[in-house]
Amino acid sequence: MPAPLLPLALVEKLLSAAMARGAEFGEVYVERATSTAVSLDEGKIRSAQVGSVTGVGVRAIRGAQVGYAYSDDLDDEALLRTAQTAALIADGSRGPGPVNMARRPQPTHYQVKQPLESVDVSRKIELVMAADKAARAYDKRIRQVMGGYADQTKEILVANTLGHFAEDRQDLCRLGVQCVAFGKKNERRTGFYGGGGRVDFRFFEDFSPAHVGREAARQAVATLGAVPAPSGPQTVVLAPGWSGILLHEAVGHGLEADFIRKGTSLFAGKLGEKVASELVTVIDDGTVAGGRGSLNVDDEGNPGERKVLIEKGVLKGYLYDHLNAQLTGQKSTGSGRRQSFRHAPLPRMTNTYLAPGDATPEEIVAGVQRGLYCRQFGGGQVDISNGNFVFEISEAYLIEDGEITKPVKGAMLIGVGPEALKNVTQVGCDASHDPGLGTCGKDGQNVPVGVGLPTVRIDNLTVGGTGP
Amino acid sequence: MRKKQESRAVKDSLASVCERLAGLAKKAGASDAEAYAERSRESSVKVRDGEVEELQQATSKGVGLRVIKSGRLGFAYGTDFSLAGLRLLADRALALAKGTAPDPSNVLPKTLGRAPGADGDYDPAIEDIDPAWKLKAARACEKGAQGVDPRVRKFESTGAGDFLSWHAVASTRGSAGESRASYAYVYCSPVAEEGGQLQTASWSDTRRTLAQLEAPEAIGRIAAEKAARMLGARKVKSQKVPVVFDPQMAAGFIAGLSAAVSGNLVFKKSSFLGDRLGKRIASRQVTLIDDSTLEHGLATRPFDGEGVPSQRTPIIEQGVLKSFLYDAANAKKAKARSTSNAVRGWSSLPGIGTSNLFLESGDQSPAQIISGVKQGLYVTAMLGRGADVVTGDYSRGANGIWIENGELAYPVQEITVSGNLLAMLEGIDAVGNDLDFRSSTVAPTLRFSELVVSGA
Repeated sequence: MPAPLLPLALVEKLLSAAMARGAEFGEVYVERATSTAVSLDEGKIRSAQVGSVTGVGVRAIRGAQVGYAYSDDLDDEALLRTAQTAALIADGSRGPGPVNMARRPQPTHYQVKQPLESVDVSRKIELVMAADKAARAYDKRIRQVMGGYADQTKEILVANTLGHFAEDRQDLCRLGVQCVAFGKKNERRTGFYGGGGRVDFRFFEDFSPAHVGREAARQAVATLGAVPAPSGPQTVVLAPGWSGILLHEAVGHGLEADFIRKGTSLFAGKLGEKVASELVTVIDDGTVAGGRGSLNVDDEGNPGERKVLIEKGVLKGYLYDHLNAQLTGQKSTGSGRRQSFRHAPLPRMTNTYLAPGDATPEEIVAGVQRGLYCRQFGGGQVDISNGNFVFEISEAYLIEDGEITKPVKGAMLIGVGPEALKNVTQVGCDASHDPGLGTCGKDGQNVPVGVGLPTVRIDNLTVGGTGP
Repeated sequence: MRKKQESRAVKDSLASVCERLAGLAKKAGASDAEAYAERSRESSVKVRDGEVEELQQATSKGVGLRVIKSGRLGFAYGTDFSLAGLRLLADRALALAKGTAPDPSNVLPKTLGRAPGADGDYDPAIEDIDPAWKLKAARACEKGAQGVDPRVRKFESTGAGDFLSWHAVASTRGSAGESRASYAYVYCSPVAEEGGQLQTASWSDTRRTLAQLEAPEAIGRIAAEKAARMLGARKVKSQKVPVVFDPQMAAGFIAGLSAAVSGNLVFKKSSFLGDRLGKRIASRQVTLIDDSTLEHGLATRPFDGEGVPSQRTPIIEQGVLKSFLYDAANAKKAKARSTSNAVRGWSSLPGIGTSNLFLESGDQSPAQIISGVKQGLYVTAMLGRGADVVTGDYSRGANGIWIENGELAYPVQEITVSGNLLAMLEGIDAVGNDLDFRSSTVAPTLRFSELVVSGA
């Protein structure tokens, strides 16, 4: 094993300092992150960048009160001051109990043999250039291509006064391409595609940059000449994959334990109740092989888990971090995550997906008289309290008499989480995870997540468009 | 030995760190180099039921180095200000520059001899702020919210904090400067509850000086009123109606729009406003300004992220598109001048962004604007990104109050408002007199003559 990120004797000293004023829980989180990014624009590699940041976050908890401090200054004195600052949340005095600092290896859910930081930047540049070339070759109406590759190798060490001690190396990469297709009369359409995960460069042998470039170009060209999306409630069919953002927004956030404990989520107090159609089984799984949201351990040192959140429409569980589990007599579900050492952990999703059903995608579309087929998706957002969520549809088509017909533009879906899930009337057998694109924001903290959905039919969902 | 260097580095000013780093890069073979550094101190408190929920405090720092060699660009960043740490950055940035494409637009701005603008407000009182102030302010804010309505008893969060930051830039092309900024803020997100429906709202204030900050009690009260008035919200039928955006939503609209005047998108013919310079694109009531010299402005600064002195840039004047926004590289491509809109942190290359962006006040009160609507929507919260400045499409989830016969009638939710951005700009038929610089991007109440509302 390589040397720990911080000498274990110092970690113990910091834990003692965090507890010195009577806190009930102390935690030290150490992080070293090295990031590389390459960007391409107008056919040229514009920039290449690399950065390294190391820092330490110390947390002290007394009851429901949290003290948090961090430092990027790594000398002993600065770190001790940091721990003493976190300790200020309590105002008594107490010695910490013994802390078990045994280092032990754990199973890995990542598919990384060669750390991304050791891959030469020239190979990263080649990926982006190959994607650009394929996008431009797809169609002469593709006139702008922006490409980017970014990766991070993040090593963490977490130790707390309950005796948890964990270390992990979390590699993450993503290749993405955006295209603009130029049509007649100043018409512009965009396409975006990409993917990655906790994988190394073997991933791009199958998920080739040429495929990424062609798919982004295809989306942009396919929607040229699109008519305005219809407005109002309709039957909507979602294509598999990244459409899983529906679950992430419509239910996922509302099941995070901080909102549940504060009673500010519309899912609070509904365990055991029917909150969705019985075709709906929702799983949050931190153990998906190579998944963008996968975690061997979360940022509080608890192992990543597979959790069934909704089973056949019935609410089964919430997503817990340490603090919210502790305060409500539950166990952590390995959902405590933070953007970096500059942030205290929050309960978050990992990879959230809908279990497959038994309908074929073809029969789902064939059964719709008039509706909207949503093939590619942008971002989404939810209001936890009233459950209103939106997500943007970047590529959509009308369904007329069971057939996918004209492309439409400017579509947006809006609904209320449980109502939308009760209106799920068909679930396909074609379960699929997204290619590894998603980043989720909460309280100003971004973390990588995965989503997944089979082809799904939802009735009576409001489409915000400008057309009839 | 490492420790000794660290402690020396701490004593050095940010400007000297930048100068040293740019010099090291030049010595190591860069034709041009620029270093940008920041140091910050943040401290915040959250309360719940009058008790401290979270205390957070930290200082942090970082530096980024941009090098150009034979027209190629490399960038490296880190937090180690020791000589060894800075040398590593210089080596890394230069190594990366070998792999990028040469481009004549890879330039640093020539700022030699150009005087920086005025420093924004800096409040020494925030530097020495008593930690008890934040706790008192947050408690008062929560109390203010609790006194409004018995249906407002839950809170997402309530808090207060302060933030101090110091910035410096130095380049081999003559950029050199240091600036500082102070901020204090108070916020509240209460949740109102009735008959199983939950509604949240939030209100906050951020200012550069303590004296300008709104009273915490008032912030809590306004937040609670906003949450309570949404209780009972329902869906409405899809229809085309006049739509009024409150000042926060109007600010969101111009923030989304601002990407369309980015010199980068314009150069790539990928903005819906790209070919409209000098033409009328909006109703005559619309004047949009970016001003990094604005007195008391939250984003006021002496120079931008690459050292270009700050300036006032009219973007739209009485409906006519007057200027796009540029950093040095995009200005070079477009044969324009930098408008001092290079925005960045120490861990990123500069990109084009706004400073104090505001839509000038009109002459109608919000009540007058609403009273002119027979049937329509008053929007108070939105979901999603909204503006697509490449295609010109606009569609966003909305919550708000339905207007009937000129009066706010009942709350509505689960609807979207959609339109085409050019038609929306043309259709702005009322601009409020309620502009308040409580954020770096602000606008008064706005009325759009007709948008599509999608609902039931």
